[in-house]
Amino acid sequence: MDEEPERTKRWEGGYERTWEVLKEDESGSLKATVEEILFQSKRKRVTESHGQVRLGMMRHLHLVVDCSRSMEDQDLKPNRLTASLKLIETFVEEYFDQNPISQLGIITTKNKRAEKLTDLAGNPKKHIVALKKAVDTVCLGEPSLYNSLHLAIQTLKHMPGHTSREILVILSSLTTCDPANICELIKTLKSLKVRVSVIGLSAEVRVCTVLTRETGGSYHVILDESHFKELLMLHVKPPPASSSSECSLIRMGFPQHIIASLTDQEAKPSFSMSHLDSSSGADLSLGGYFCPQCHAKYTELPVECKVCGLTLVSAPHLARSFHHLFPLQAFTESPTEQLQKDRFCQACQGELKDKSIFSCPSCCSVFCVECDLFIHDSLHCCPCCIHNQSNP
Amino acid sequence: MLELKRTLDAKGHGVLEMPSGTGKTISLLSLIVAYQKVFPLEVSKLIYCSRTVPEIEKVVEELRKLMEYYSKQTGESNNFLALALSSRKNLCIHPEVSSLRVGKEVDGKCHTLTASYIRAQRHSDPDLPVCRFYEDFDAVGRQMPLPAGVYNLDDLKDFGKRNGWCPYYLARYSLMHANIVVYSYHYLLDPKIADLVSKELTKKSVVVFDEAHNIDNVCIDSMSVNISRRTLDRCQTNVETLQNTIQKIKETDATKLKMEYRRLVEGLKEANVARETDVYLSNPVLPDEILQEAVPGTIRTAEHFVGFLKRFLEYLKSRLRVHHVVQESTPQFLKDIFDKVCIDRKPLRFCAERLRSLLRTLEIADIADFSAVTLISNFATLVSTYSQGIKTLLFSVSHFTLSPLDIYPRILDFRPVTMASFTMTLARTCLCPLIVGRGNDQVALSSKFETREDFAVIRNYGSLLQEMSAIVPDGIVAFFTSYMYMENIVAAWYEQGILENIQRNKLIFIETPDAAETSMALEKYQEACENGRGAILLSVARGKVSEGIDFVHHFGRAVIMFGVPYVYTQSRILKARLEYLRDQFQIRENDFLTFDAMRHAAQCVGRVIRGKTDYGLMIFADKRYARADKRGKLPRWIQEHISDGSLNLTVDEAVQLSKHFLRQMAQPFRQEDQLGLSLLTLEQLESEEMLKKISQIAHQT
Repeated sequence: MDEEPERTKRWEGGYERTWEVLKEDESGSLKATVEEILFQSKRKRVTESHGQVRLGMMRHLHLVVDCSRSMEDQDLKPNRLTASLKLIETFVEEYFDQNPISQLGIITTKNKRAEKLTDLAGNPKKHIVALKKAVDTVCLGEPSLYNSLHLAIQTLKHMPGHTSREILVILSSLTTCDPANICELIKTLKSLKVRVSVIGLSAEVRVCTVLTRETGGSYHVILDESHFKELLMLHVKPPPASSSSECSLIRMGFPQHIIASLTDQEAKPSFSMSHLDSSSGADLSLGGYFCPQCHAKYTELPVECKVCGLTLVSAPHLARSFHHLFPLQAFTESPTEQLQKDRFCQACQGELKDKSIFSCPSCCSVFCVECDLFIHDSLHCCPCCIHNQSNP
Repeated sequence: MLELKRTLDAKGHGVLEMPSGTGKTISLLSLIVAYQKVFPLEVSKLIYCSRTVPEIEKVVEELRKLMEYYSKQTGESNNFLALALSSRKNLCIHPEVSSLRVGKEVDGKCHTLTASYIRAQRHSDPDLPVCRFYEDFDAVGRQMPLPAGVYNLDDLKDFGKRNGWCPYYLARYSLMHANIVVYSYHYLLDPKIADLVSKELTKKSVVVFDEAHNIDNVCIDSMSVNISRRTLDRCQTNVETLQNTIQKIKETDATKLKMEYRRLVEGLKEANVARETDVYLSNPVLPDEILQEAVPGTIRTAEHFVGFLKRFLEYLKSRLRVHHVVQESTPQFLKDIFDKVCIDRKPLRFCAERLRSLLRTLEIADIADFSAVTLISNFATLVSTYSQGIKTLLFSVSHFTLSPLDIYPRILDFRPVTMASFTMTLARTCLCPLIVGRGNDQVALSSKFETREDFAVIRNYGSLLQEMSAIVPDGIVAFFTSYMYMENIVAAWYEQGILENIQRNKLIFIETPDAAETSMALEKYQEACENGRGAILLSVARGKVSEGIDFVHHFGRAVIMFGVPYVYTQSRILKARLEYLRDQFQIRENDFLTFDAMRHAAQCVGRVIRGKTDYGLMIFADKRYARADKRGKLPRWIQEHISDGSLNLTVDEAVQLSKHFLRQMAQPFRQEDQLGLSLLTLEQLESEEMLKKISQIAHQT
């Protein structure tokens, strides 16, 4: 689809009184209200940030994907499974982009069983390949919430205490077929401090409400595809860490990246350690990242060294996780008329034509809506503040 | 509240209808209590009648909260006494007696321990067993009134245990000076019990009937007597024992019988004394003229009375031998009985009173054994006292019958001062009534008699349930019109393999006429809803489930009504009742039937919404619901939400709408969202705008 993901077809949706939202201004024009609506929808995306809290930066997330019969339902196009797998792909990419030192694993559940699609790992590529393959799976039977949570716990419980343990369930079915009482499992999850969140594709199921409430997760039900995406993206941000989780220092290695050209005689082609276990993609390459402790070679970061167990990251990765800890303050909104100075956005230098403007509370620079969104979503720092810092 | 105040001011009757979970109990209680505080002379007592013991407990809890709030706000403890009353079964603390399970047994056992003549006997023979709780209460309990406060059944028991007083008699005694009494309908409506319990209630009390749509049925229950072959047989043995005891007593103590005879000649004066003061609210089953007269000579002596009973019994037996149903009015019945066994009307009237007197004289303690003969004599009295409204063989006294409110007062035969139906103000539309009139193949869905056996209809009903089971989370409750109909449909679904398909989505539980089985099914149903498996409960529109059990939140996300729950129109009782209504109040049969059916449908459907945070689908699967006469009889709070777009849907359309509704409802809903809409903070309430709005409403009405 080249346009925005289409919402449900008009004839499938409810009967809407779209005209009642619109109101004419004094001159009888509808323009003002239309702009207002557009503006509001843009603004909505800026969710309130929760100030200075401890965040679990090192995340271990298990993604549970329902592959039961109900995933064949066609209310998401072309069907629920394909649509959600596609969205999960983008989620996985975004997840690793924002949380570089975190890990992710995928579990599927169908026919009363749960099986691992991918193990907990820090490499997005493997997950994405697996997800692409999973599109062809046959959806059958009922899902089992118990089995999938149980499987996830098996690996999560061995994770160190300073990392966050999370499970995100994408549940399409309204029923689960469990071998034992799930309440017991919820208690175990709670004691292990595993945070379980659920995104429901059809309606609110009681057991999920209880599950998420008890474990401190969130529970949402999608309205349509774009809402689904929004909800998934909420989980990209690291959750606030509970104050009881332990703090510890972690040893990390910052491997040097050595680029060797083909002409260099000394460089010897070698295998990457990360490809040793997988049969595919075992290519010989010249350069790479070398573990500062044992000199094992890796082609990609972040990774845990197979030889000495050191966590290998690059400095920019850490820096990127950093902004979650010090989120940029929300800009204050004020009507354009109040502005005394010339009406130009400090960032894009465009004229401020919208009804309201946004100013940074620390440097008082003025921005337009688009720039405000861009700064908060991608830059994570106010360009004017940075500018002032460099030239005092 | 406004309407209620007006009713109180006018000292008249009022009928109020409110959706469930909107706090009717608390608003009623708070206003009446306030009223009571301001005008202690005009309203001296509040009698709150509810139906079941759990409901009584709920009311008392609300009241306790209210009282706590009062004392917190005013800083002084108020001297209100509020208490709940229930049967001996729920209140007894005697270790032996309370271990009995059945109400009647407890009553009987209690009676053997506390009856006055037993206690009198005990003076001479101290070895007789006696209830020490009652003795203690009798000795000291009456002097000291119950301290002010709110007592529920358990509190009463605790209080009784601490002081060693019998809680049941304590409660009954305290009724007289209590400000608020919460008890069951029967204590007020059933003449047999009302006589004992409620006769000391003065006229200045406010009586509230909660869930009053059941009131007509309660009345009918309490005034009707069911006589079967077995009761007659038991009666026979009772009469024989009576005869034997009389023989025995005659040999030993003839004077006693003589004394009784003399007393009877003097008439039922003693009964009269109790009734003399007219201010008592009681249901006079014995009209006053009876009290003035003496017991007729024919049944004055004990032997003659027993003989009389025997004759009457034989007559009833002979009548019951007839296989076809005979319906006759009271005069006809009386004439017949006169012709056949020469029993006059007059002695019949005294039957119940005479029996009581005899039992007293004979010092028979365990009344429970004699229930059969008591029943017969009650019947005799009833049949001869009321000249109209009783039909014979399956007898029922048609007295009273609630949602088009105007029909209630008409049936109940009183003129209300106010009549109001309230709706809920909701922050979101949390109910979604849909009327499904057609299957996917456009076959009209209906449970009417002609199409009842139609395969296409049954199949479409099946597919409706199947589709719904796939999209509705947790619990679904489905109501059928009768057990028979349910059995037929479920059997057909089984054959067509629909059940199997449904079972992939949810487990199925079925209500049966057996109470134990049903409560088992209910328990499992709730468990299945709780752990995420999901369940469907198939039940019947007039059964136990539809009447008393709430399906809060996930226990009932959808309710489906298969068909319109008309009553079984061939039933004798109903026919008698309809005739009575037509003759007395000019209510057409059809009106009443529709009214009654819709009342039950609303009752069933209302089970799922129990508060503002709750939500649920209501599916009416019958095309007849779309008609204006049916739709108009649903309560206003449901009617409001039926849009033109949700009439006469097909199964597919209903599924589409429900999916959308359920997703909307699953969005996070916090208390703050309700603020200002359906919930007001104190500031908002005191704000200019609100005050203006309130006074405006007050002026309008």
